[in-house]
Order: sequence, then C-alpha cells, then structure tokens
Amino acid sequence: MKRTVPLMIVLVGGVLMIIQYFIPHRISQDIFDNYTIWVPIIGAFALALGVGSLTRLHGHKVRNKAPNWPYSLAVLLPIYLMPIFAFFVPVSFGGGMDEPGFYHFAFMHIQVPIQSTMFSILAFYIASAAFRAFRAKSVLATILLLTAVIVMMGQVPIGELLGSWFPKLGLWIIDFPNNAAKRAIGLGVGFGILATQLKIIFGVERNWLGGAGE
Amino acid sequence: MKENIWSRMLNLDRRWIFLFIGVVCIVPFFFPFGLPVLPTAHVISIFDYVENLGPENAIFVSFDFDPGTDPENMPMAVAVTRHAFSRHIPVFFTANAPLAQGMLESGLAYITNPALEGYFHVVSWQEWAQYRDQGITERDQLEAAWEADGNVLPANSSGWVFEGRDFAKLGYLPYFSLVILGMTSSIASQYPEDMNGNPLVEMPMLQEHKSLRDVDLAATFSGTAACTWWITYGREKIGLPVAFGVTAVSATDYTIFIQSGQLIGQMGGLRGAAEYEVLLQNAGYFDKPDRAFIGMDVQNAAHLLILFFIVLGNIAYFAGGFHKKGALLKGRR
Repeated sequence: MKRTVPLMIVLVGGVLMIIQYFIPHRISQDIFDNYTIWVPIIGAFALALGVGSLTRLHGHKVRNKAPNWPYSLAVLLPIYLMPIFAFFVPVSFGGGMDEPGFYHFAFMHIQVPIQSTMFSILAFYIASAAFRAFRAKSVLATILLLTAVIVMMGQVPIGELLGSWFPKLGLWIIDFPNNAAKRAIGLGVGFGILATQLKIIFGVERNWLGGAGE
Repeated sequence: MKENIWSRMLNLDRRWIFLFIGVVCIVPFFFPFGLPVLPTAHVISIFDYVENLGPENAIFVSFDFDPGTDPENMPMAVAVTRHAFSRHIPVFFTANAPLAQGMLESGLAYITNPALEGYFHVVSWQEWAQYRDQGITERDQLEAAWEADGNVLPANSSGWVFEGRDFAKLGYLPYFSLVILGMTSSIASQYPEDMNGNPLVEMPMLQEHKSLRDVDLAATFSGTAACTWWITYGREKIGLPVAFGVTAVSATDYTIFIQSGQLIGQMGGLRGAAEYEVLLQNAGYFDKPDRAFIGMDVQNAAHLLILFFIVLGNIAYFAGGFHKKGALLKGRR
C-alpha cells in the first residue's frame, strides 16, 4: 500500500499533465490552473515537515550533547528566531519585517555579508588554482591555457586596451566552440532527463520512494 | 631535488597570492582607473529592446539570486529597473527564493533611496487612492493630477513611481517554476496580493496585463540555473521574450539560448551590468554610471594579477626544467 498509492498518484498525475499540455481546451486549462494552485499548498505542508524533521534531528543532538552540538544550536536558533521576530514580536520590541527590526537586521547585516563573503572567497581560490593549474604541460593544456587567457582578458576593459581583438576573439570562442560543446552536452542531459522522468512516471524508477513499504 | 629560484617560484606559498589578490581588490576603490567599458551586442540587444517599450507595455524583473551573487546580479537588476522606471514601463517584481525576496527589497530600497542622486520617488498604493477613486489611472494623467495637488518632485530625483501603476512587488512564492507556469494563465491566480498585502487585481497594471501573455519581457537575474525556468515555462510555452543577467562564471552556459533565439540578450557578470550602466548614461538617462562600473576597476586589476601569476608559473615551469623532469616539487602550502 505504501508503494502502490504513491506510484499511482505519480502515474495519474504525470500522464494527466503530459496529455493536458497538448490539449488546448477549457477543461484541460482548468486542470492545469488547479494543479498550479495546489502545488504551492502542498509545498507549504512540505515546509512544515522539513522544519519539523530538522528540529527533531538537531534537537536530538543538542539534548545529547553530541559532537559539535553548538552548530546544531546555530541551525535551530535562526530558524525559529527569524519568524518569531518577523510575525509575533511587536514592532516596538524590534519585531516586524522592516527596518529597524531584528529580522531586517539579521538578514541585511548577518546573512547577506556572510553569503557575499563566502562567494567572494572564490576570487582568492581561482587565483591560486590558476597559478597552479594553468601550465603548458601538453598541447591540450596549452590550448586550455590560451583560451582561458583570451576569454578572461576579453571580459575586462584592460583587455580591450591591450588589443581590440581580445574581446572579439573571446566572444567568438564563447559563441562557437563553447556553444557547440554546450549544445552537445545539453542534448545528452535533456534526453537523460526525459528518460528518467518517463521511468519515474511509469514506476520503473522507484528510488524516490526511499525504501518505503519494503 | 635541489631548491632553486624556479622551484621556489613554482611552489610559491598560496598565502602570498591571497595577499596580492586582497591588495588589488582594495586599491582600485581608492585610486580608480575609470577605463572605458564598451557595450557588447548581447547587452545592447537587451537595452534596445527595453528602449522600444513604453507605458502601454509591461515587464517582469525577477530577482532570482541570493546574497552570494549580490555584487554581480544586483547592479544588473538595478540598471534594468532604472531604465524601465525612466521610461514609465510597468514592472512586476518577483523572486524565486525566500532570500531572493530580501534581495528584491534591498534593490528597490537602493533605487528609491532619497539620499542617492537620481533616485525614484515612490508613491505608495495608499497615497494615490483618491485618484483611483476619481478614475485617474492613466500614467501621464496620474502624474499631472498628483503634481497639480502640490506634490513637488525633489531636485535629486529622476521621477515618480506609482505603486500599482508603475510597479508591483509580487515577491516570492514556493515552487517558483510552477508559479511561472501558472502566470502564463493568470498572474492574479498566483499572486492575489502583492508583498505589502495590497490587492493585485485592483492595480491598473494588472488589469492591463493579466497574464504573462500580456507581458513584453521577463528579465531574470540569477546566480543559478533557475533562470532557465523562464525559458522552459515562459518562452517555450507562450513565446515570452526573456533576457538573462547571470554571473560571469555561468555566462557561457546560456549563450546557446541567444544563438537559438530563445534569449533576446544576456548580461554576464559585473561587466554586463557595467555595460548596461554605460548604455543608460550614453542615452542620457543618468549623468554617470553606477556601482558596476566602479567595480570594473577591481576586475581589471584582479584579471591582470591572475594573468601575471599564470605567466610567472609557466616561466618557472619551463626555465626550471620541470617539463623534462615530469614531477613538481612537493611541499606546497
């Protein structure tokens, strides 16, 4: 039962939506409209389930003082503090979603700088990796090295200053050799996705059930 | 293996590289080079497309990025929004993730910040209620009536923007790919209210543009492949024109969509945003470019430094004879 019901839901829902796409009729459109309204509603329940599951997992770690349990506390506190301050604490006590409340402060002055910092660290690692990896060890490595230099310099004004052919050649590399490779990869991935989705809809692929009912 | 200058150069401690990168990222802010940025065809095509739209059209500007890619994506979104506001093109603002909604609010706060030169002065939905009651919803009539009542545009402002007439903040909804799909039938079915709880169906811009079929452009600014949702569900289903603003590292992933005609153009990284800012300046909308143009100096310096390190590494590799020995020294840090 645990396996059959989800499989039937996926089969009926999947086939219905495939057929619906090709039928330009009012009933077909109504089914589609209802479907797009229902999905976010189901998603809201999934969100509650996810938060509950996360709370149980990390709450267990905190209670038992498991290794690195303070990190679990760092997960749980923001998950609950942010909505509490946003929706339940009065504005006069730093609540609400707007400035100067805690929610706005935590987002703009903690979360945004942390994420921006994490991403900006990439510049340092790319510089180090370029120094170590871009060596003309072979013909292929030399082609890669030259391509990288041309595309990189074509992206900045100083490249244009060094030679007007830098951006033109860089754009040509992106528009032709790059596109050819991307298109080939994209087609392969596309067919793979199509095959996998059909296997899921028709119950051939069942890993998404997560072993339920076994 | 005996240590010499080449081997030491080849095994340069990575902390030196980090230090140099740190320095070249900071110095240009104090000593800007201000090198000219020449707009490329991929960005010009977006600019020209928006340039041909007006108050009778409508566009979507989707803040589909999180704080991680804020420095690259935000200037693009800001530039296109400022362009649309300057031309009185109604803009629907969306976000594909909860954090992206924060970016949307942050971006709008920047564009409408009275402390900044060239900001847009917001007239909230409630503030112009009396004009709606009188049936004044047409853009030029509304502005004329608003100013006739003694409202004066501040000297440092680029213009009024009326909530519900010039823009609507739709924000984030879960399963955003399906939200796009749903908006191909009806925007109001997905967003009965805007982010501030105002009724969307009463807004003039929604009454004139009920679904994505009535919208002339979706400009998505994203640091992930989520931007392709607009092509899959918008472009391919109803022919919605789509433009991308993506990070520099992912820009090469999406040029295939330009070649196939599914994208009208793309801004790649900070450079793309800077190009759009230059186009806005050249067209006379603003006196000077914005933040992306300033950031290009940092990119110039950093790219040159990386190039220097690549050349240095190869000189050491060949001059030290490591291409013959087949193995590099160990002990890197």
